[in-house]
Amino acid sequence: MNHKKYLKLALVGFILFSATAVITSCGDPKKAEEPEEEPVDAAKDLLTSVNGELFSIPSPLQTSILLKSSGANYSKDILNLTSKLPSYSTEYKKALNLGVYGADLGYVIIYGQTQDALGYLNASKRLADDINVSGAFDANLMKRFEKNMGNNDSLLSIFTSGYRATDSYLKNNDRNAVSGMVITGGWIESLYFTLNILKKDFKNKNVIIQRVGEQKNTLDHVIKLLTPFYQNPEMTELTELTDALLELYHEFEDIEVKYTFVKPTTDVANKITTINSTTEVKITDEQLKNITEKLSAIRQMIIN
Amino acid sequence: MIRKFTIALALIAALVSFGNKAVAQCDTVANACVRHMTNKYISDGQHYRALLLDKEIAEFQSTFYGGTTYRIAACSGLGDGNLVFRIFDKERNLLFDNSEQQNASYWDFKFVSTLDCTIEAQIIPGKAPSGCAVMMISFKQ
Repeated sequence: MNHKKYLKLALVGFILFSATAVITSCGDPKKAEEPEEEPVDAAKDLLTSVNGELFSIPSPLQTSILLKSSGANYSKDILNLTSKLPSYSTEYKKALNLGVYGADLGYVIIYGQTQDALGYLNASKRLADDINVSGAFDANLMKRFEKNMGNNDSLLSIFTSGYRATDSYLKNNDRNAVSGMVITGGWIESLYFTLNILKKDFKNKNVIIQRVGEQKNTLDHVIKLLTPFYQNPEMTELTELTDALLELYHEFEDIEVKYTFVKPTTDVANKITTINSTTEVKITDEQLKNITEKLSAIRQMIIN
Repeated sequence: MIRKFTIALALIAALVSFGNKAVAQCDTVANACVRHMTNKYISDGQHYRALLLDKEIAEFQSTFYGGTTYRIAACSGLGDGNLVFRIFDKERNLLFDNSEQQNASYWDFKFVSTLDCTIEAQIIPGKAPSGCAVMMISFKQ
Protein backbone atom coordinates (compact mmCIF):
# COMPACT_ATOMS: atom_id res chain seq x y z
CA MET A 1 0.00 0.00 0.00
CA ASN A 2 1.52 3.41 -0.91
CA HIS A 3 1.59 6.47 1.32
CA LYS A 4 -1.22 8.18 -0.51
CA LYS A 5 -3.45 5.29 0.39
CA TYR A 6 -2.26 5.47 3.99
CA LEU A 7 -3.12 9.14 4.15
CA LYS A 8 -6.53 8.51 2.67
CA LEU A 9 -7.08 5.86 5.30
CA ALA A 10 -5.87 8.18 8.01
CA LEU A 11 -8.25 10.87 6.82
CA VAL A 12 -11.17 8.45 6.85
CA GLY A 13 -10.07 7.30 10.30
CA PHE A 14 -9.86 10.88 11.49
CA ILE A 15 -13.41 11.60 10.36
CA LEU A 16 -14.68 8.40 11.92
CA PHE A 17 -12.96 9.06 15.21
CA SER A 18 -14.10 12.67 15.24
CA ALA A 19 -17.61 11.32 15.16
CA THR A 20 -16.67 8.81 17.86
CA ALA A 21 -15.50 11.55 20.15
CA VAL A 22 -18.97 13.03 20.14
CA ILE A 23 -19.99 9.94 21.95
CA THR A 24 -19.31 11.57 24.96
CA SER A 25 -23.00 11.31 24.43
CA CYS A 26 -23.13 14.71 25.25
CA GLY A 27 -25.56 17.16 24.04
CA ASP A 28 -24.51 20.35 22.76
CA PRO A 29 -23.55 22.92 25.25
CA LYS A 30 -24.74 26.45 24.73
CA LYS A 31 -22.78 29.57 25.45
CA ALA A 32 -23.58 31.26 28.70
CA GLU A 33 -22.55 34.63 27.45
CA GLU A 34 -22.13 36.39 24.14
CA PRO A 35 -19.44 34.52 22.22
CA GLU A 36 -16.05 36.06 22.55
CA GLU A 37 -13.25 35.95 20.04
CA GLU A 38 -11.48 32.74 20.92
CA PRO A 39 -8.83 30.67 19.28
CA VAL A 40 -10.25 27.61 17.55
CA ASP A 41 -10.48 24.78 20.05
CA ALA A 42 -10.64 21.42 18.28
CA ALA A 43 -11.94 19.56 21.33
CA LYS A 44 -14.79 22.03 21.76
CA ASP A 45 -15.77 21.70 18.10
CA LEU A 46 -16.02 17.94 18.55
CA LEU A 47 -18.61 18.34 21.25
CA THR A 48 -20.94 20.45 19.21
CA SER A 49 -24.05 18.61 18.10
CA VAL A 50 -27.38 19.48 16.56
CA ASN A 51 -29.25 22.49 17.93
CA GLY A 52 -27.61 22.47 21.31
CA GLU A 53 -30.43 20.81 23.20
CA LEU A 54 -31.17 17.51 24.87
CA PHE A 55 -34.71 16.22 24.89
CA SER A 56 -36.35 14.32 27.65
CA ILE A 57 -39.33 12.14 26.76
CA PRO A 58 -41.59 11.36 29.73
CA SER A 59 -41.55 7.73 30.78
CA PRO A 60 -44.38 5.57 29.32
CA LEU A 61 -44.81 4.29 32.87
CA GLN A 62 -46.34 7.59 33.91
CA THR A 63 -49.11 7.11 31.37
CA SER A 64 -49.84 3.61 32.71
CA ILE A 65 -49.99 4.98 36.25
CA LEU A 66 -52.48 7.63 35.11
CA LEU A 67 -54.63 5.05 33.28
CA LYS A 68 -54.85 2.87 36.35
CA SER A 69 -55.58 5.76 38.72
CA SER A 70 -58.36 7.03 36.46
CA GLY A 71 -60.21 3.73 36.74
CA ALA A 72 -59.46 2.13 33.36
CA ASN A 73 -59.37 -1.67 33.52
CA TYR A 74 -56.43 -3.80 32.40
CA SER A 75 -56.71 -4.55 28.67
CA LYS A 76 -54.26 -7.10 27.36
CA ASP A 77 -55.70 -6.77 23.86
CA ILE A 78 -54.18 -3.30 23.38
CA LEU A 79 -50.62 -4.54 23.90
CA ASN A 80 -48.23 -5.83 21.25
CA LEU A 81 -47.98 -9.62 21.11
CA THR A 82 -44.67 -11.15 22.21
CA SER A 83 -45.24 -13.84 19.57
CA LYS A 84 -44.32 -11.23 16.96
CA LEU A 85 -40.77 -11.12 18.28
CA PRO A 86 -39.21 -13.48 15.66
CA SER A 87 -40.49 -11.27 12.84
CA TYR A 88 -38.39 -8.32 13.95
CA SER A 89 -35.27 -8.88 11.89
CA THR A 90 -33.76 -5.42 11.29
CA GLU A 91 -32.08 -3.15 13.83
CA TYR A 92 -34.76 -0.55 13.08
CA LYS A 93 -37.61 -2.92 14.00
CA LYS A 94 -35.74 -4.37 16.96
CA ALA A 95 -34.95 -0.97 18.49
CA LEU A 96 -38.47 0.39 18.04
CA ASN A 97 -40.07 -2.74 19.43
CA LEU A 98 -37.67 -2.79 22.37
CA GLY A 99 -39.34 0.51 23.25
CA VAL A 100 -42.80 -0.92 22.53
CA TYR A 101 -42.28 -3.98 24.73
CA GLY A 102 -40.80 -1.76 27.45
CA ALA A 103 -43.97 0.34 27.53
CA ASP A 104 -46.08 -2.84 27.56
CA LEU A 105 -43.98 -4.32 30.37
CA GLY A 106 -44.48 -1.18 32.44
CA TYR A 107 -48.22 -1.35 31.80
CA VAL A 108 -48.56 -4.98 32.93
CA ILE A 109 -46.48 -4.34 36.07
CA ILE A 110 -48.52 -1.26 37.02
CA TYR A 111 -51.65 -3.40 36.73
CA GLY A 112 -50.04 -6.19 38.75
CA GLN A 113 -50.39 -8.70 35.89
CA THR A 114 -47.19 -10.50 36.71
CA GLN A 115 -48.19 -13.58 34.70
CA ASP A 116 -47.73 -11.46 31.56
CA ALA A 117 -44.67 -9.58 32.80
CA LEU A 118 -42.10 -12.33 32.28
CA GLY A 119 -43.02 -12.70 28.61
CA TYR A 120 -42.47 -8.98 27.99
CA LEU A 121 -39.24 -8.97 29.98
CA ASN A 122 -37.90 -11.91 27.97
CA ALA A 123 -38.89 -10.20 24.73
CA SER A 124 -37.12 -7.00 25.84
CA LYS A 125 -33.99 -8.93 26.80
CA ARG A 126 -33.92 -10.76 23.49
CA LEU A 127 -34.21 -7.51 21.49
CA ALA A 128 -31.60 -5.76 23.66
CA ASP A 129 -29.21 -8.68 23.08
CA ASP A 130 -29.96 -8.66 19.35
CA ILE A 131 -29.02 -5.00 19.01
CA ASN A 132 -25.83 -5.71 20.98
CA VAL A 133 -26.63 -3.83 24.15
CA SER A 134 -24.39 -5.98 26.22
CA GLY A 135 -25.28 -6.42 29.81
CA ALA A 136 -28.36 -4.18 30.04
CA PHE A 137 -30.64 -7.15 30.77
CA ASP A 138 -28.05 -9.46 32.27
CA ALA A 139 -28.59 -12.72 34.14
CA ASN A 140 -28.53 -10.92 37.46
CA LEU A 141 -31.34 -8.54 36.43
CA MET A 142 -33.44 -11.43 35.09
CA LYS A 143 -32.93 -13.38 38.30
CA ARG A 144 -33.84 -10.40 40.50
CA PHE A 145 -36.96 -9.82 38.42
CA GLU A 146 -38.16 -13.41 38.87
CA LYS A 147 -37.33 -13.32 42.57
CA ASN A 148 -39.42 -10.18 43.10
CA MET A 149 -42.53 -11.35 41.31
CA GLY A 150 -45.47 -9.96 43.25
CA ASN A 151 -43.56 -6.94 44.50
CA ASN A 152 -44.51 -4.33 41.92
CA ASP A 153 -42.30 -1.56 43.27
CA SER A 154 -39.22 -3.76 43.01
CA LEU A 155 -40.21 -4.97 39.54
CA LEU A 156 -40.57 -1.37 38.33
CA SER A 157 -37.21 -0.44 39.76
CA ILE A 158 -35.50 -3.49 38.22
CA PHE A 159 -36.97 -3.09 34.77
CA THR A 160 -36.37 0.69 34.59
CA SER A 161 -32.74 0.07 35.56
CA GLY A 162 -32.51 -2.29 32.54
CA TYR A 163 -33.88 0.39 30.22
CA ARG A 164 -31.68 3.09 31.73
CA ALA A 165 -28.63 0.86 31.22
CA THR A 166 -29.72 0.34 27.60
CA ASP A 167 -30.03 4.08 27.00
CA SER A 168 -26.67 4.74 28.65
CA TYR A 169 -24.90 2.00 26.69
CA LEU A 170 -26.31 3.19 23.36
CA LYS A 171 -25.42 6.82 23.98
CA ASN A 172 -21.92 5.94 25.22
CA ASN A 173 -21.34 3.98 22.05
CA ASP A 174 -22.48 6.72 19.72
CA ARG A 175 -25.64 4.84 18.79
CA ASN A 176 -27.93 7.79 19.28
CA ALA A 177 -30.19 6.77 16.40
CA VAL A 178 -30.89 3.42 18.08
CA SER A 179 -31.41 5.13 21.45
CA GLY A 180 -33.84 7.55 19.77
CA MET A 181 -35.73 4.64 18.20
CA VAL A 182 -36.12 2.80 21.53
CA ILE A 183 -37.50 5.96 23.15
CA THR A 184 -39.78 6.65 20.16
CA GLY A 185 -41.16 3.09 20.24
CA GLY A 186 -42.02 3.46 23.91
CA TRP A 187 -43.73 6.81 23.36
CA ILE A 188 -45.80 5.54 20.40
CA GLU A 189 -46.94 2.45 22.33
CA SER A 190 -47.97 4.38 25.43
CA LEU A 191 -49.95 6.91 23.37
CA TYR A 192 -51.50 4.01 21.44
CA PHE A 193 -52.85 2.30 24.51
CA THR A 194 -54.00 5.64 25.97
CA LEU A 195 -56.04 6.37 22.82
CA ASN A 196 -57.47 2.87 22.68
CA ILE A 197 -58.43 2.76 26.31
CA LEU A 198 -60.50 5.89 25.65
CA LYS A 199 -62.74 3.69 23.50
CA LYS A 200 -63.62 1.66 26.59
CA ASP A 201 -65.95 2.54 29.42
CA PHE A 202 -64.59 4.15 32.59
CA LYS A 203 -65.16 7.24 34.74
CA ASN A 204 -62.37 9.79 34.45
CA LYS A 205 -61.90 10.04 30.71
CA ASN A 206 -61.28 13.79 30.77
CA VAL A 207 -57.94 13.38 32.56
CA ILE A 208 -56.84 10.94 29.87
CA ILE A 209 -58.02 13.20 27.04
CA GLN A 210 -56.08 16.05 28.61
CA ARG A 211 -53.00 13.81 28.72
CA VAL A 212 -53.33 13.13 24.99
CA GLY A 213 -53.36 16.86 24.27
CA GLU A 214 -50.31 17.31 26.48
CA GLN A 215 -48.33 15.14 24.07
CA LYS A 216 -47.97 18.03 21.62
CA ASN A 217 -44.66 19.17 23.05
CA THR A 218 -43.41 15.62 23.62
CA LEU A 219 -44.12 14.72 19.99
CA ASP A 220 -42.11 17.78 18.97
CA HIS A 221 -39.24 16.44 21.10
CA VAL A 222 -39.53 12.94 19.63
CA ILE A 223 -39.26 14.41 16.12
CA LYS A 224 -36.25 16.48 17.15
CA LEU A 225 -34.61 13.36 18.59
CA LEU A 226 -34.90 11.65 15.21
CA THR A 227 -34.10 14.68 13.04
CA PRO A 228 -30.29 14.20 13.00
CA PHE A 229 -30.80 10.88 11.18
CA TYR A 230 -33.34 12.21 8.70
CA GLN A 231 -32.21 11.68 5.10
CA ASN A 232 -29.47 9.30 6.19
CA PRO A 233 -29.42 7.00 3.14
CA GLU A 234 -28.89 3.99 5.40
CA MET A 235 -31.95 4.79 7.48
CA THR A 236 -34.75 5.20 4.95
CA GLU A 237 -37.29 3.51 7.24
CA LEU A 238 -36.46 6.00 9.97
CA THR A 239 -36.99 8.84 7.49
CA GLU A 240 -40.43 7.40 6.66
CA LEU A 241 -41.26 7.13 10.34
CA THR A 242 -40.18 10.73 10.94
CA ASP A 243 -42.39 11.86 8.04
CA ALA A 244 -45.33 9.99 9.55
CA LEU A 245 -44.68 11.61 12.93
CA LEU A 246 -44.56 15.02 11.26
CA GLU A 247 -47.97 14.26 9.71
CA LEU A 248 -49.20 13.33 13.16
CA TYR A 249 -47.84 16.61 14.54
CA HIS A 250 -50.08 18.52 12.11
CA GLU A 251 -53.05 17.06 14.00
CA PHE A 252 -51.64 18.37 17.28
CA GLU A 253 -50.85 21.83 15.94
CA ASP A 254 -54.32 23.29 16.41
CA ILE A 255 -54.84 21.97 19.91
CA GLU A 256 -55.43 24.96 22.18
CA VAL A 257 -52.96 25.26 25.04
CA LYS A 258 -53.40 28.06 27.58
CA TYR A 259 -50.54 28.58 30.00
CA THR A 260 -50.74 30.69 33.16
CA PHE A 261 -47.64 31.44 35.21
CA VAL A 262 -48.05 31.31 38.99
CA LYS A 263 -45.11 31.86 41.32
CA PRO A 264 -43.70 28.59 42.70
CA THR A 265 -43.46 27.93 46.43
CA THR A 266 -40.46 26.29 48.07
CA ASP A 267 -40.26 24.25 51.24
CA VAL A 268 -36.54 24.42 51.99
CA ALA A 269 -36.64 22.06 54.95
CA ASN A 270 -38.07 19.25 52.81
CA LYS A 271 -36.17 20.24 49.69
CA ILE A 272 -39.31 20.51 47.60
CA THR A 273 -40.68 23.20 45.31
CA THR A 274 -44.30 23.22 44.21
CA ILE A 275 -44.70 24.46 40.66
CA ASN A 276 -48.06 26.20 40.75
CA SER A 277 -48.34 27.32 37.11
CA THR A 278 -51.18 25.81 35.11
CA THR A 279 -51.67 24.54 31.58
CA GLU A 280 -55.12 24.08 30.10
CA VAL A 281 -55.49 21.95 27.01
CA LYS A 282 -58.55 22.00 24.75
CA ILE A 283 -58.81 19.15 22.30
CA THR A 284 -61.85 18.57 20.07
CA ASP A 285 -63.44 15.17 19.31
CA GLU A 286 -62.35 15.51 15.71
CA GLN A 287 -58.74 16.19 16.69
CA LEU A 288 -58.83 13.18 18.97
CA LYS A 289 -60.26 10.99 16.20
CA ASN A 290 -57.63 12.13 13.68
CA ILE A 291 -54.80 11.60 16.18
CA THR A 292 -56.10 8.11 16.97
CA GLU A 293 -56.22 7.16 13.28
CA LYS A 294 -52.77 8.47 12.45
CA LEU A 295 -51.09 7.12 15.56
CA SER A 296 -52.65 3.67 15.03
CA ALA A 297 -51.31 3.62 11.46
CA ILE A 298 -47.82 4.53 12.71
CA ARG A 299 -47.97 1.84 15.35
CA GLN A 300 -49.00 -0.73 12.72
CA MET A 301 -46.00 0.38 10.67
CA ILE A 302 -43.58 -0.47 13.46
CA ILE A 303 -45.07 -3.61 15.03
CA ASN A 304 -45.85 -5.47 11.78
CA MET B 1 4.86 11.79 3.79
CA ILE B 2 5.60 9.26 6.55
CA ARG B 3 5.83 12.16 9.01
CA LYS B 4 2.40 13.42 7.97
CA PHE B 5 1.04 9.95 8.40
CA THR B 6 2.52 9.73 11.89
CA ILE B 7 0.96 13.08 12.81
CA ALA B 8 -2.44 11.89 11.53
CA LEU B 9 -2.16 8.74 13.60
CA ALA B 10 -1.19 10.71 16.70
CA LEU B 11 -4.22 12.95 16.19
CA ILE B 12 -6.48 9.92 15.89
CA ALA B 13 -5.00 8.42 19.05
CA ALA B 14 -5.52 11.70 20.90
CA LEU B 15 -9.13 11.87 19.75
CA VAL B 16 -9.86 8.29 20.75
CA SER B 17 -8.26 8.86 24.12
CA PHE B 18 -10.27 12.07 24.58
CA GLY B 19 -13.53 10.36 23.67
CA ASN B 20 -12.88 7.39 25.95
CA LYS B 21 -11.90 9.61 28.87
CA ALA B 22 -15.04 11.70 28.44
CA VAL B 23 -17.24 8.59 28.40
CA ALA B 24 -15.49 7.17 31.46
CA GLN B 25 -15.82 10.51 33.24
CA CYS B 26 -19.56 10.71 32.47
CA ASP B 27 -20.03 7.12 33.69
CA THR B 28 -18.25 7.89 36.96
CA VAL B 29 -20.36 11.01 37.52
CA ALA B 30 -23.57 9.11 36.65
CA ASN B 31 -22.70 6.31 39.08
CA ALA B 32 -22.09 8.86 41.83
CA CYS B 33 -25.26 10.82 41.00
CA VAL B 34 -27.59 7.82 41.03
CA ARG B 35 -27.37 7.68 44.84
CA HIS B 36 -29.76 10.65 44.96
CA MET B 37 -32.44 8.54 43.31
CA THR B 38 -33.80 6.63 46.28
CA ASN B 39 -36.20 3.68 46.11
CA LYS B 40 -39.23 5.92 46.38
CA TYR B 41 -38.50 7.27 42.91
CA ILE B 42 -38.77 5.57 39.53
CA SER B 43 -36.24 6.51 36.87
CA ASP B 44 -37.54 7.85 33.54
CA GLY B 45 -35.14 5.36 31.94
CA GLN B 46 -32.98 7.94 30.19
CA HIS B 47 -29.51 9.42 30.69
CA TYR B 48 -28.79 13.07 30.06
CA ARG B 49 -25.15 14.05 29.79
CA ALA B 50 -23.20 16.99 28.47
CA LEU B 51 -19.50 17.68 28.52
CA LEU B 52 -19.16 21.31 29.49
CA LEU B 53 -16.18 23.50 28.82
CA ASP B 54 -15.56 26.93 30.29
CA LYS B 55 -18.83 28.77 30.84
CA GLU B 56 -20.94 26.61 28.59
CA ILE B 57 -24.50 25.75 29.50
CA ALA B 58 -26.24 22.46 28.77
CA GLU B 59 -29.90 22.80 27.93
CA PHE B 60 -32.46 20.04 28.55
CA GLN B 61 -36.04 20.27 27.27
CA SER B 62 -38.59 18.33 29.22
CA THR B 63 -42.30 17.95 29.92
CA PHE B 64 -43.39 17.34 33.50
CA TYR B 65 -46.85 15.93 34.12
CA GLY B 66 -49.31 17.54 36.49
CA GLY B 67 -50.06 15.77 39.76
CA THR B 68 -46.60 14.18 39.81
CA THR B 69 -43.66 14.72 42.13
CA TYR B 70 -40.30 14.55 40.41
CA ARG B 71 -36.78 14.37 41.70
CA ILE B 72 -34.15 16.03 39.55
CA ALA B 73 -30.50 15.37 40.29
CA ALA B 74 -27.74 17.28 38.53
CA CYS B 75 -24.13 16.33 39.15
CA SER B 76 -20.62 17.02 37.97
CA GLY B 77 -17.51 15.52 39.50
CA LEU B 78 -17.68 13.10 42.40
CA GLY B 79 -18.77 15.49 45.11
CA ASP B 80 -21.94 17.50 45.51
CA GLY B 81 -22.50 21.16 44.71
CA ASN B 82 -20.40 21.48 41.56
CA LEU B 83 -23.24 22.29 39.25
CA VAL B 84 -25.79 25.07 39.02
CA PHE B 85 -29.14 24.11 37.53
CA ARG B 86 -32.08 26.32 36.78
CA ILE B 87 -35.56 25.47 35.59
CA PHE B 88 -37.53 27.82 33.35
CA ASP B 89 -41.06 27.59 32.02
CA LYS B 90 -41.79 28.12 28.34
CA GLU B 91 -42.09 31.89 28.88
CA ARG B 92 -38.61 31.92 30.46
CA ASN B 93 -39.95 32.57 33.95
CA LEU B 94 -37.46 31.19 36.45
CA LEU B 95 -39.08 28.39 38.45
CA PHE B 96 -36.07 27.15 40.40
CA ASP B 97 -32.40 27.95 40.84
CA ASN B 98 -30.33 25.58 42.97
CA SER B 99 -27.76 28.31 43.62
CA GLU B 100 -30.37 29.76 45.98
CA GLN B 101 -30.35 26.41 47.81
CA GLN B 102 -26.63 26.04 48.41
CA ASN B 103 -26.14 24.38 45.01
CA ALA B 104 -28.13 21.34 46.11
CA SER B 105 -27.38 18.34 43.87
CA TYR B 106 -30.99 17.24 43.88
CA TRP B 107 -34.37 18.74 44.57
CA ASP B 108 -37.98 17.57 44.47
CA PHE B 109 -40.67 19.26 42.40
CA LYS B 110 -44.40 18.86 42.70
CA PHE B 111 -46.13 19.89 39.49
CA VAL B 112 -49.70 21.04 39.96
CA SER B 113 -50.27 21.02 36.20
CA THR B 114 -48.37 19.69 33.17
CA LEU B 115 -45.57 22.02 32.13
CA ASP B 116 -43.02 22.24 29.34
CA CYS B 117 -39.74 23.32 30.88
CA THR B 118 -36.15 24.04 30.04
CA ILE B 119 -33.44 22.99 32.47
CA GLU B 120 -30.08 24.67 32.19
CA ALA B 121 -26.97 23.27 33.83
CA GLN B 122 -23.60 24.91 34.22
CA ILE B 123 -20.44 24.03 36.10
CA ILE B 124 -19.87 26.53 38.89
CA PRO B 125 -17.06 28.84 37.84
CA GLY B 126 -13.98 28.16 39.90
CA LYS B 127 -15.03 24.63 40.89
CA ALA B 128 -13.63 23.05 37.75
CA PRO B 129 -12.62 24.32 34.32
CA SER B 130 -14.63 21.63 32.54
CA GLY B 131 -16.35 18.35 33.14
CA CYS B 132 -19.23 16.05 32.49
CA ALA B 133 -22.64 17.26 33.63
CA VAL B 134 -25.15 14.51 34.33
CA MET B 135 -28.84 15.05 34.91
CA MET B 136 -31.30 12.41 36.09
CA ILE B 137 -35.07 12.62 36.31
CA SER B 138 -37.23 10.30 38.34
CA PHE B 139 -40.77 10.44 39.67
CA LYS B 140 -42.86 9.16 42.53
CA GLN B 141 -45.56 6.63 41.83
